[in-house]
Amino acid sequence: MNSTNSTVTTRKRLLILTVSIIFLFCALLGRLAYLQLAAGKELQAKAAQQWYRDLPLKAPRGKIVDTHGQVLADNREVYGVYVRPNAVKDAPAVASVLSGHLSLDYDKLLEKIVSSRVSEITVARAVEKDVAEAIIAHDLAGVYFTLDSKRYYPASHYLAQILGFTNIDNVGQNGLEGYYDTYLKGVDGFAYTAADIKGNELADNVTEYVPAIPGCDLTVSLDLNIQSFAETAVANALEDHGAKNASMIVMDCKTGGILAMASAPGFDLNEPPRDDLHMLNALSKNKMIVDVYEPGSTFKIFTTAAAIENGAVSDADRFFCGGSRLVDGQKIKCWRSIGHGSQNLADGVKNSCNCVFMDLALRLGTDKMYDTIRNFGFGTKTDIDFYGESKGLLMAQSKVKTVDLARIGFGQAVAVTPLQLVTAVSAAINGGTLYEPYFLQKATAYGGQTIYTREPKAVRQVISSGTSERLRNMLEKVVSEGGGHKAGVAGYRIGGKTGTAQKYENGSIAQGKYVSSFVGFAPVEDPRYVLAMIVDEPSGYAYYGSLVAAPYAGEVFAKIFDYAGLPPSTSATVTEWTQMPDVVGVSTQEALEMLRQCGLTAEVAGEGESVRSCVPSPQTRVEKGDVVLLRT
Amino acid sequence: MRPKNDLLHTKRGEYDYILTAVTVLLVLFGIVMVYAASSYNAAVNYNNRYFYMFKQIVGAVLGFAALFVFGLLDYRILQKWRYVILGVSVLLLVLVFVPGVGVESYGARRWINLPFFTMQASEIAKFGFIIFTASYMAKHHSKMTTFVGILPVLSVGGLICLLIILEPNMSITICVVLLMFSMLFIGGARLKHFLLLALPAAAMVPLLILAEPYRLKRMLAFIDPWASPLGEGYQLIQSFYSLGSGGLFGLGLFNSRQKYLFLPFSESDFIFSIIGEELGLVGCALVMFAYILLIARAVRIAQNSTDRLGCYLAGGIASIIAIQVLVNIAVVTGSIPPTGLPLPFISAGSSSLIVFCSSIGILQSISRHSHKTVKRLARKHADRGAKRDHGVGN
Repeated sequence: MNSTNSTVTTRKRLLILTVSIIFLFCALLGRLAYLQLAAGKELQAKAAQQWYRDLPLKAPRGKIVDTHGQVLADNREVYGVYVRPNAVKDAPAVASVLSGHLSLDYDKLLEKIVSSRVSEITVARAVEKDVAEAIIAHDLAGVYFTLDSKRYYPASHYLAQILGFTNIDNVGQNGLEGYYDTYLKGVDGFAYTAADIKGNELADNVTEYVPAIPGCDLTVSLDLNIQSFAETAVANALEDHGAKNASMIVMDCKTGGILAMASAPGFDLNEPPRDDLHMLNALSKNKMIVDVYEPGSTFKIFTTAAAIENGAVSDADRFFCGGSRLVDGQKIKCWRSIGHGSQNLADGVKNSCNCVFMDLALRLGTDKMYDTIRNFGFGTKTDIDFYGESKGLLMAQSKVKTVDLARIGFGQAVAVTPLQLVTAVSAAINGGTLYEPYFLQKATAYGGQTIYTREPKAVRQVISSGTSERLRNMLEKVVSEGGGHKAGVAGYRIGGKTGTAQKYENGSIAQGKYVSSFVGFAPVEDPRYVLAMIVDEPSGYAYYGSLVAAPYAGEVFAKIFDYAGLPPSTSATVTEWTQMPDVVGVSTQEALEMLRQCGLTAEVAGEGESVRSCVPSPQTRVEKGDVVLLRT
Repeated sequence: MRPKNDLLHTKRGEYDYILTAVTVLLVLFGIVMVYAASSYNAAVNYNNRYFYMFKQIVGAVLGFAALFVFGLLDYRILQKWRYVILGVSVLLLVLVFVPGVGVESYGARRWINLPFFTMQASEIAKFGFIIFTASYMAKHHSKMTTFVGILPVLSVGGLICLLIILEPNMSITICVVLLMFSMLFIGGARLKHFLLLALPAAAMVPLLILAEPYRLKRMLAFIDPWASPLGEGYQLIQSFYSLGSGGLFGLGLFNSRQKYLFLPFSESDFIFSIIGEELGLVGCALVMFAYILLIARAVRIAQNSTDRLGCYLAGGIASIIAIQVLVNIAVVTGSIPPTGLPLPFISAGSSSLIVFCSSIGILQSISRHSHKTVKRLARKHADRGAKRDHGVGN
């Protein structure tokens, strides 16, 4: 030691160094305490996610069955194909086999297998059983399979817009699959397996199972048989008339349950066109619930109901139709330019005379008219168990002018959904009770216990049962004697109303574009079935509801009666036949007289003075009472 | 309390049994922990779960032999051989770059291929530097207050750092820089010179980052490892998982889950995480206490040393142990940017183990040669009133 001072410096500095070191140790101990104690639980929870390979045990999705238990939506076994890159021994072979069987790009797949940092690659899902078995046969190291399920719709094209479909994860996307996804999906289970980073099970592992709880089975009010009648009807209507769309709803008017709901064009629910999203959206939209249209003459049912209920009309009242009415200085035409002459209310309904309903609406006044149509459910949602329902369009009550009121009287200046129409007609003819429409009847949990049962839900009494009975009788005449004749079924009492409305595009009438409709019910003495048939934009001259929509309704009614074993209500009438008179070239007035004498009813297209052509052609055998078309 | 009882006690050759006991305990504990951390990895990769443990046992045997041999030697020999030792150190660092001799692994040339094991050249160089610096400072202690006086230390340190950074090995480089500062500090260099040196050293950081962009990513990963959980942040997150799972008392010895290949380098640079996972905060604290004890014994030996050489040597050894332990724990706890550095005496790796054991041997040599002189010194101090307390409590 040469210098005491220097030694002191060294000693001091060693002391400073030691104290600093101890301080740093303490700081690190604090940091450790934070990580191990304060953040420990959270970190361990995160770590556990990588320690365990959790194989999801997918809960089987509940079935959807019709009211008689016929399966509408079921599950089918498919496979998921996975690759664990760490366990792959021969990457090119794996890529080659998988790309071959699953039609994937070889290079991309190989690249994924070779360079991926993740422990598991999902190669394909929802692989059909035979394809998966073909791959399994190659016995490739590092390729794994999981049993999965895919939604299967036995009636493929039926109910496309109603059932909806699921995505690849079996999550309901739309329709009933979407609306009742919570019921249907069940609860997934898991199998936890302690594994190393490569997914290899550890030696002392005990796999823990959390079983899946399958989803509930749903019973819906639909009847697959009636649905098939409706599907056939809409498909035929679409083709026969080159229409843009054809839809049908059949409702049980005593409960509000939907028995059938069909719309064409549709698609195969098992192969939804997922590649074309625009088309898929268009095809899968349930226009009968989501879209509105101007109902036209079918709406006259409610004007009539309102007038009778409010005592605004008596049986003795006579209405005169000269082909038009002057309302507030504005001339509103009846569909028949030559007029209907003097009629009572029943004739007015049978003839679907616009003037009669203008008079009725004006007699009622806006408030009473609006009260009634609101009570029928127009302007509000029906609250059916379906997403995206529209409430229709009603003019603001305060803004309704006399002219508007007159138009509403015969079904213009309002817009309704087909479902609203069916629901309201049901109320009009079932004795006056408005029921909330529904699909879901019953939900059954896995294990069999019923967890939900639908009771018909009466919303309100809209009209008296007496009014309802008078309406039924008037509407029966429309089918037996008037424009609804083609909806008739020999021996059965059917009531109904046709409608033909011009379409509006951008606020003005679209020339040549119509919505032809028919809404009917049967049997008249004790109504059960209410049916609406709507044909959107039929092409050609035959656009009248009586010609375009009513015939399909008749066919479906006939099939339903047969299927339901409904006995005829009147002794079977002998069908009378007549010949189509040669009316071509004859003046319109004379032609109508000739047809009346033959016992035929006519729809007149055009405003000409004489008949240019007619359907069916002259000398054709036609049923007495049938509706024919004249072009003038 | 300490000076009187111990120093006035007349006793031949003071061998620090506590120091050796703590060292042996740490090494044996290390063997157990290396097995705990590596058994699964070794079974998967070498089909022998004792693979790393056996290597560690061989290293421990060699290490204990070195501890014993260096303990017998007179440390003053090192001063005579300082240029040879420095020369060998530098030569080894250069040899790393010779193809066939140097081994490349993980993109860096750090190892020298010896017939029976690979040796990490920088481990030797750290101690070569300590011996050279201690010798130089002991000889030229009066010049240490001048900048010119500390220049040779800076030059040799700079050269060694340069060679190590070329491997590249950032972590050892930083260790050597810290070691250099620490030794200059003990050697009495002026604080203003430190400031002068700190500036260019700080300026080097961005340069080094520019040279290897992966370092910047690592820096960022340290700030927010969760931003890239599968990339740069992966290792740190895995270390957090280990420590966090341990809690206060740990999952129990051999019960680590992170050893199942989740935590890379679990048997070497990140063995402290496994200690934390299996033995909890309590285990970590005990290990840290053992290191503090070790460092305190080394500092005590430095203070009791009869000459400057022994004092500086012991101070340097205390420094390198402290630096590596602190940096290693700081890395695994995410307190500083991640860098690969073994935990002295515990991490798998024979070179590190042997060299650190040798340094404990050197400490024993210093300790054994100190007692008579220190006794006299203490008496002199006692005569002067023993007003200053020079010791460090332990």
